[in-house]
Amino acid sequence: MKEKKSYDVILFKAVSYALKAEKILKKEGLPHKLIPVPKHISSDCGVCIRFEPEIKSKIEAALFNKVDVEELRTLEN
Amino acid sequence: MTDFTIVDARGLSCPQPVVLAKKALESNKKVKVIVDNETALENVKRLGMKLECDVRVQAKSGDLYEIQMTRRADFDKNQDFVSSCCETGAAKTGPFVIVVSENKMGRGNDELGAVLIKAFLHTVAGQAKKPDVMIFYNTGVTLTVQGSDVLEDLKQLESEGVQILVCGTCLNYFEIKDKLAAGVVSNMYDIVETMSNAGRLIVP
Repeated sequence: MKEKKSYDVILFKAVSYALKAEKILKKEGLPHKLIPVPKHISSDCGVCIRFEPEIKSKIEAALFNKVDVEELRTLEN
Repeated sequence: MTDFTIVDARGLSCPQPVVLAKKALESNKKVKVIVDNETALENVKRLGMKLECDVRVQAKSGDLYEIQMTRRADFDKNQDFVSSCCETGAAKTGPFVIVVSENKMGRGNDELGAVLIKAFLHTVAGQAKKPDVMIFYNTGVTLTVQGSDVLEDLKQLESEGVQILVCGTCLNYFEIKDKLAAGVVSNMYDIVETMSNAGRLIVP
């Protein structure tokens, strides 16, 4: 199952940043998914953006100077 | 510890692990139950206490637990220990149903609501306790068609046996019937029947 794969996630300071980033990534056609921040990272009811590690540099380039990113993490599933 | 009868209850949800454990204890003094979630662990432990067993739990890697139960006395096989051990005892009479009546979660802010419903469905798909049926109607049906951000989650739920009913009238109204990508086209009869028979019904 796909659960075995590892993903990267971008964490934001606020939901509005995540929404802004989602809009940009949609426009750029970069595959991603808005998901709840995994419990082991934070118990807040936050959202983050998940993507395949292969397109990390593209994602970073798309968001660079446009959205404040709090942290980029790799999730081991 | 070869003298333990092993019950492998991995991948099973309540009340299955409790049922199997009780069955095994009826004919064996020593039973080891393997479960893969905390709910099952708690429920099986509770059964062990009720049956006055000596209960020992070993946590294994991940969410795996081995529960060793040694029976000290006989118990009444006909007594219903199962429903009192399962947290869901009160709701076990009908299917667990989730109704998605909108393409957003909660009222107030639609942009936020759209984020929340995505997060909700993603979380449902990742949960051990899956619904039996999910019903989509009104703008909720837009989540089940091509281009929806939650298709991956809905397809996963479907592949794991969750029945997804999508209101046909609604697909028709939005003129997206030909774009349906998860679930089956359903009607008000099935929707009403499913809702009426639900043991538990959640509307996010």
